[in-house]
Amino acid sequence: MAVQTDSFADMALQVKKDHRKMKWFQFQRLLRRKTALLSLIILILALLAALFAPVIAPYPDQGMGAVNLEHRLKAPGSHYALGTDIYGRDMVSRVVFGARISLFGGICIVICAAVIGVPLGLWAGYNEGISGAVISRTVELFLSFPSTLIAMAISILIGAGWSTAIIALIIPWWPWYTRLVQAEVLSIKQTLFVEAAQMLGYGKIYIIFRHLLPNVMTPVMVMILLDLGPAIITIGLLSFIGLGTQPPMADWGLMVWEGAPNILSEWWISVVPGCAMFIVVIAFNIFGDALKDILDTSG
Amino acid sequence: MNTGTANKDNLQGPHMGHDKDPVLQVRELTVAFNLPQGRAEILEGVSFDLYPNEILALVGETGSGKSVTAKSLLHLIPGRNCEIRGRVLFEREDLLSLPKKMLQAIRGDKISMVFQNPKSSINPIFTLGEQFHRLIRLYLPHRIAQVKLKMGCTRKQAVQIIAKEKLHEVGLTDTERMLKLYAAEVSGGMAQRYRIALALVSAPEILIADEATSALDVTVQAHILKLMKDLCTTKKTAILFITHDLGIAAQICNRVAVMYAGRIVETADTKTIFKNPLHPYTRGLLKAVPKLGKNESLAFIPGIVPDLVNPPKGCRFFCRCDHAMDRCRDQKPKSVRVENNHDVSCFLYHPDHTDKKEIPNETAPD
Amino acid sequence: MKPPLIELEKVNTWFPGSKTILGKPRSWIKAVSDVSLNIIAGECLGLVGESGCGKSTLGRTVLRIAPLHSGEIRFLGDPIGTLSSKELKPYRSKMQMVFQDPKASLNPKMTIFDILKEALVLNTRVEKHAYLEQAVELLHLVDLRSEHIYRYPHEFSGGQQQRICIARALATDPRFIVFDEATSALDVSVQAQVINLMKNLQNTFNLTYLFISHDLSIMEHVCSRVAVMYAGQIVEIQDSRALFDTPRHPYTKSLKNAVPVADPEESNTLEVLKGEVPKLSDPPSGCHFHPRCNYAQDICKEKSPLKSETGDHSWVRCHFHETLWAQGTLIDN
Repeated sequence: MAVQTDSFADMALQVKKDHRKMKWFQFQRLLRRKTALLSLIILILALLAALFAPVIAPYPDQGMGAVNLEHRLKAPGSHYALGTDIYGRDMVSRVVFGARISLFGGICIVICAAVIGVPLGLWAGYNEGISGAVISRTVELFLSFPSTLIAMAISILIGAGWSTAIIALIIPWWPWYTRLVQAEVLSIKQTLFVEAAQMLGYGKIYIIFRHLLPNVMTPVMVMILLDLGPAIITIGLLSFIGLGTQPPMADWGLMVWEGAPNILSEWWISVVPGCAMFIVVIAFNIFGDALKDILDTSG
Repeated sequence: MNTGTANKDNLQGPHMGHDKDPVLQVRELTVAFNLPQGRAEILEGVSFDLYPNEILALVGETGSGKSVTAKSLLHLIPGRNCEIRGRVLFEREDLLSLPKKMLQAIRGDKISMVFQNPKSSINPIFTLGEQFHRLIRLYLPHRIAQVKLKMGCTRKQAVQIIAKEKLHEVGLTDTERMLKLYAAEVSGGMAQRYRIALALVSAPEILIADEATSALDVTVQAHILKLMKDLCTTKKTAILFITHDLGIAAQICNRVAVMYAGRIVETADTKTIFKNPLHPYTRGLLKAVPKLGKNESLAFIPGIVPDLVNPPKGCRFFCRCDHAMDRCRDQKPKSVRVENNHDVSCFLYHPDHTDKKEIPNETAPD
Repeated sequence: MKPPLIELEKVNTWFPGSKTILGKPRSWIKAVSDVSLNIIAGECLGLVGESGCGKSTLGRTVLRIAPLHSGEIRFLGDPIGTLSSKELKPYRSKMQMVFQDPKASLNPKMTIFDILKEALVLNTRVEKHAYLEQAVELLHLVDLRSEHIYRYPHEFSGGQQQRICIARALATDPRFIVFDEATSALDVSVQAQVINLMKNLQNTFNLTYLFISHDLSIMEHVCSRVAVMYAGQIVEIQDSRALFDTPRHPYTKSLKNAVPVADPEESNTLEVLKGEVPKLSDPPSGCHFHPRCNYAQDICKEKSPLKSETGDHSWVRCHFHETLWAQGTLIDN
C-alpha cells in the first residue's frame, strides 16, 4: 500500500489550521465576556506601562527615586496629575515604575513556584513509594504554616531586599503547585489511557511527560493566573513591613506604607498605588476565572 | 369497551378503550440549549400520553434526549441556557407554566422519580432510616395517627411500623438493620429498592424511572423489574420507564415510545412494536439487539447520531436511513396514525405517499 | 487439538484489604481465587459474570497488570507469572487490551497518529519511516478514513473511539487481545459494527480473544466458548451454544433467566436470585454459590467442588451437576 506522504503533510496542515481556528473561537468566547475583555485590557495596559515606564512616566528620574523637595506633598492637580509624595516625587511616575517591580516580581514568583512545584507534584502523584511520600510530607509541612510567616522568616534570615523577598516567597509558594498537580495526577493515573500506556510497556518518565503533564497543564495555567494577584499583594506586604523592596525604589506595597502616616491629610500617597494594586489583582482574578470557565466547558 | 379486570387487556392505548383519561399528557415539548457552539434543539416536538395503570417505555440510545424528556417534565433542568416550550398536562394543569412552589408540591408527592445511580441519589450523611422516617412524617400524617390509635403506640413507633411496611412492599426484609446504615454501606440493588420505597411513600400517581436498572447487575435488575411490574398492577401507579434496553421494554412495559435524536419516531403497544415495527430506525434497532440463544449475525445502523447544533433540516434520521426519499431531506415528517394506537413519524406511511414500493415489506425480526 | 496459547494454573489475585500500621495487609480481597484455565489459540473465550465477581481482574492478571498472588501463567509455554516489568517487555506487544470506556482510554491531548505511533514503536516489524503509512493502514483496517489521522479523540463518536482503541491494540502485532466490556458502553445500533469488526480481524490475523462482559446475550454472537465466573471462581466453561441450551451450573441458569429478552412473545421468567452477591473479602465457605443456590445441600457449605470434565474443554464446578443433569432440572423445555 503506497501512501502519498505529501498529501498527508497537506492534511496535517489543514487539521492544524482547524485546531488553531478552534483555539481562536475559544479566545473569542473569552473576549465576548465584557468583564474578561476589560480585565485583559487592563492587564495589557499595566504590562505595557511597566515595560515602557521610562517613556510613559512624565518624570522618569523621580520614578526611579530622585527627590524633588520643592514640590513636596502636592495635591493632585494640573501639574502633577496624581499629586506628589513626601519627597515631592510625581505619583504617576512612581506608580508606573512601581508596576515594574510589582508585576515582574509577581510573575517571577508564580512562574518559579510552578516550575519547581509541577515536576515534584507529577513525581509524587505517580510514585507512591518513599520518594513520593517524602515529597508529600514536605508539602504538608510547608502548607501547615502561614506562607507569609515563612516568607518573613526567610527574608529576615537572608536579608531584606527585592530579590531576596522573591526567593523568600517562592519557598512557601511551590508546595501549592505540588499539591494541585499531585491531586490531579492521582485521578488521571487511574484513567485507562495511562493503563494502556503501561500495558505497552512504557516506563515512568515517559508516562509522566507524555501522558500526565499535558493533562495537568490546564489547571496549572489557571492557577498561575489566579495566583498572580495574591503574589503581587504579598510582595507588597513584605515591602510594607520593610523586608522587600528598599527605598528609593518602590513597589506598590511600599508606596502604600510610605503614605500611611499621612493618610488623613495627604490621602493620595497611599490611595493611588493601593488602587493600582487593587485593579490589577482584580483583573487577574476575573481573567483567570473566565479562562477557567471557558476551558472547563470546552472539554 | 374494555374495562375488564385483566390488566393485559387493559393496555391497548387510547382507541382500544382506555377506561381512563391519561394522567400525563405531553404536547410538543421542545427543549433547546444555548451552547457555545450554537443553539441545540435537544428535544423537538415530543408528544405522548401516559395512562394510569400502565408502564410506558421511553426507549432511545445515547443522545436521543430520553433523560432530558424526563427531567424537563418536572422542570428539573438547571441553567439559564435552557429553553423549554410545550405543555405538560397533569391534573388539568400545565406543569411547565406552574409557579415554582406548586411544582415543588407536585414533585415527589404526586410524581416521583428514580434515577440511574441509586447511591448518589441518597443523602450520604444521614442514615437510611432518618431519611425514610422524615419522609413518612411529611407525607403520611394521617396514616401515623391511624396506626397510633390502632396499636396504641407512640408516634415514633408508628413511624417505624409504617417504614417497615413500606420497605416490605419493595421486597426488603431485614429492615431494622438496614435502616441504621448509610447509603455507602448498602449494595446497589438494596439502594435502588430503598430509593423506590422512598419514591412510593407519598403514593404518587406517576413514577418516572430514569435508567433505573442500568447500573445494576442482571440478577438484581430482575428484582427491580419485577417490583416495578407489581407496582403497576397492585398500586395502579403509572410508570414512565426510560431505558436503552429493548429487552426491558419487551418484558415489562405495555407501550413503547422510540426516541431518536430528540424526537419520538414511533409509539405503539409492546407487542405491535416488536412484531411490526414501522419506522426504519425502530427496525434497525431491533435487528441490532443481540438475543439470548439465537446466534444470528447482528445488524447495525450505519453512520452516527446527527449533531444537534446543526441538525438535518428534514427528518433527523435522514442520513442513516435506507429508505430516505427526497422529501425527507427538507421536510419534517409529522406523526401519522397507522393503525389503532400505532403512531409513526415517517413519510413512508404518510397518506399522500403513493409509491408503496418504497415501504419495506420484510417481516419483523424475531 | 490446538495447543493452548495461554495457560493459567491455580491463579490467585489478591488485593490487600485493610492494612496494619506497618503497612502489612490484615485481610485480603480475593478477586480471583484458584482459577485454572486454558485459552486455546484462535478461539474467542467469553468470560461472563456480575459486577464485582473478579472478571476484569482476571483479564488484567493474564496480562500481568494486576498483581499475581500465587499461581502460574504461561504464554505459549513460557512462564510469565514472575517476570519483572523489564523481562515482560517482549511479551507486552504480544498481548493487548481494549477497555470498556473508549473515551477514557485515549489521551485527550494526543492526536490519533500520536496514539497509534506510541504502540507502533513497539512493533519491531515496522520501520521508523513507515509509521505514518502503518498508522493509516491500521485506520483502514478498523474502517476509519485516513483523514482522521491528525484528529483528536474527542472529535469522534463512541463507536469510532472504540475502533481507534482496537487499532492501537493491533498496532503491536499481538497474538492475544483482552476485550474488557469493550462493547458495553456502546449503543446497540453501533455495537454490532464493532463486534463484526472484531470477528473479521480475528480471522484475518489469527488472533485469540478473551472477551469479558456482563452481558450474556452478546456472548453467543462473539465467543466460541464461555466461562462463567462467580465470586472469584470460574464455575462453568462450555461451548457457547451448549451453555445457553444446556447449562450445567445452577448459577449459569439463573444468570441466563435474569436477562430480559427483547421479545414480548417469549416472556421469560425474570428469575430472581435470593440474597446478595458475596463480598470478595469474605467469600462463603465451600461452594461460593451455596447461599443463593436452590439446590444446595450440606456438602456445598463444607467442601469446595472440584472441576469435573463434561466434554472437550468444558467443565463445571458443582457437587450435584450429575444429578441436575440427569434430571434435566436446568434445561428449559
